[in-house]
Amino acid sequence: MINSIIRYSLIFIILILLQIILFNNIQFSGYMNPYIYVMFILLLPIEIPSWLLLILSFFTGLIMDFFSGSPGMHTSATVLAGFSRPYVLRVTSPRDGYEPGSDPSMLIYGFKWFFLYSLIVVLIHHTALFYLEVFRLTDFFRTLLRVILSTLFSLTFILLIEYYRRGK
Amino acid sequence: MRNLLNFLARYSNLIIFLILEGIAFYLITNGNNYQSAKVVNGFRSLTLGIESRISNFRNYMNLREINKTLADENAVLRNNIQLQSIKDNSLFFSVSDSINKQQYYYTSAEVISNSINRQKNFFTISKGKRQGAEVDMAVTAGKSVAGVIVGCSENYSVVMSLLNLDFRLSAKIKTNGYFGSLSWNGLDNRHAILSEIPQHVDVNVGDTIETTGYSAIFPEGLEIGTVSEFEKKGGDFYHITILLATDFRNLHHVNIVGNMKKTEQLELEKQFQ
Repeated sequence: MINSIIRYSLIFIILILLQIILFNNIQFSGYMNPYIYVMFILLLPIEIPSWLLLILSFFTGLIMDFFSGSPGMHTSATVLAGFSRPYVLRVTSPRDGYEPGSDPSMLIYGFKWFFLYSLIVVLIHHTALFYLEVFRLTDFFRTLLRVILSTLFSLTFILLIEYYRRGK
Repeated sequence: MRNLLNFLARYSNLIIFLILEGIAFYLITNGNNYQSAKVVNGFRSLTLGIESRISNFRNYMNLREINKTLADENAVLRNNIQLQSIKDNSLFFSVSDSINKQQYYYTSAEVISNSINRQKNFFTISKGKRQGAEVDMAVTAGKSVAGVIVGCSENYSVVMSLLNLDFRLSAKIKTNGYFGSLSWNGLDNRHAILSEIPQHVDVNVGDTIETTGYSAIFPEGLEIGTVSEFEKKGGDFYHITILLATDFRNLHHVNIVGNMKKTEQLELEKQFQ
């Protein structure tokens, strides 16, 4: 128990630092902004109680808001991602169900499953985030394009990180 | 009662979710708008330590380029001084009334953190209330427009970048003086849109666009950019795309511009509104 708390705190700090120091500074173009910190929500144990998941999402988002100077946007998007995660897990569930006490990792459930699972959660998160950022529905399709491109960009990095994590 | 408890237990997640989203939306609606960048400020001050370190490092990497722009600016300023002194000498007597002559005062600041890839971009600069910065002061990069201060703490200020959907600026075409409203469309960090220029006006690609000075924030004649394309689009107005003179990807040293006669102008204007 304590072991896993330490492990997840470590993952959390690493992801947040990566996001702030590296990914927030990738100013590639307005269309591609990777937000990889949402990966923390992806990696939490499958059997984590929903309320804890929600509260952790809330604080993850709040910290991101602290660091990017945008009150509320990240919080709202991440809470939504945390809320939808159990449903996504149910939808993408493998035929034999999940092993009790396991993490949603690429190592256990394979690349294809992890890809689908993260794609859905990241897409939900980014959709909420980018529409909240613009906060208007004019240029609806341009925002949609930003959502899609950024999702692909973030997903690439998340899969890479997960792949390297698996190697250890 | 038991039904109520059952209900709560059953939907507890949904309820927590709604409460948390409620808090988030409260933050969004109360903190994200133009006026109350205070929240932004409070958030920022926590992270400024890390950010100034990153920006220090970046500044160091760009020293050569920064030196060059500063040298260029110095040259231009020297020329201005020359012109100025010639003008003064042509008078029969010299008046040493500095207040009447000087309307704007400048001070330099460094950019500590900057963003260009959001829809509402802000950047933080290294001068605050203690150094005389105030809300609604103009921020320029060299001779061109960069943004407007929207919040000040003791030693830092948050600037709404020109690259912000909420940013509005009155701008004119240098050659003929027709003015319109400048805004950013969120598309890319090199271009902005000038609207409300009537279609009978003669516009050419390459025309310089500069500030009008009507707003009492920006001095007149600051460069904004050049016309890169224009089209007639319904109505009576042009839709003009402007190539910005400021490169926001590479913003390190900026100037804060204060207007000494701003209160006077605003007070006077208020009487007729």
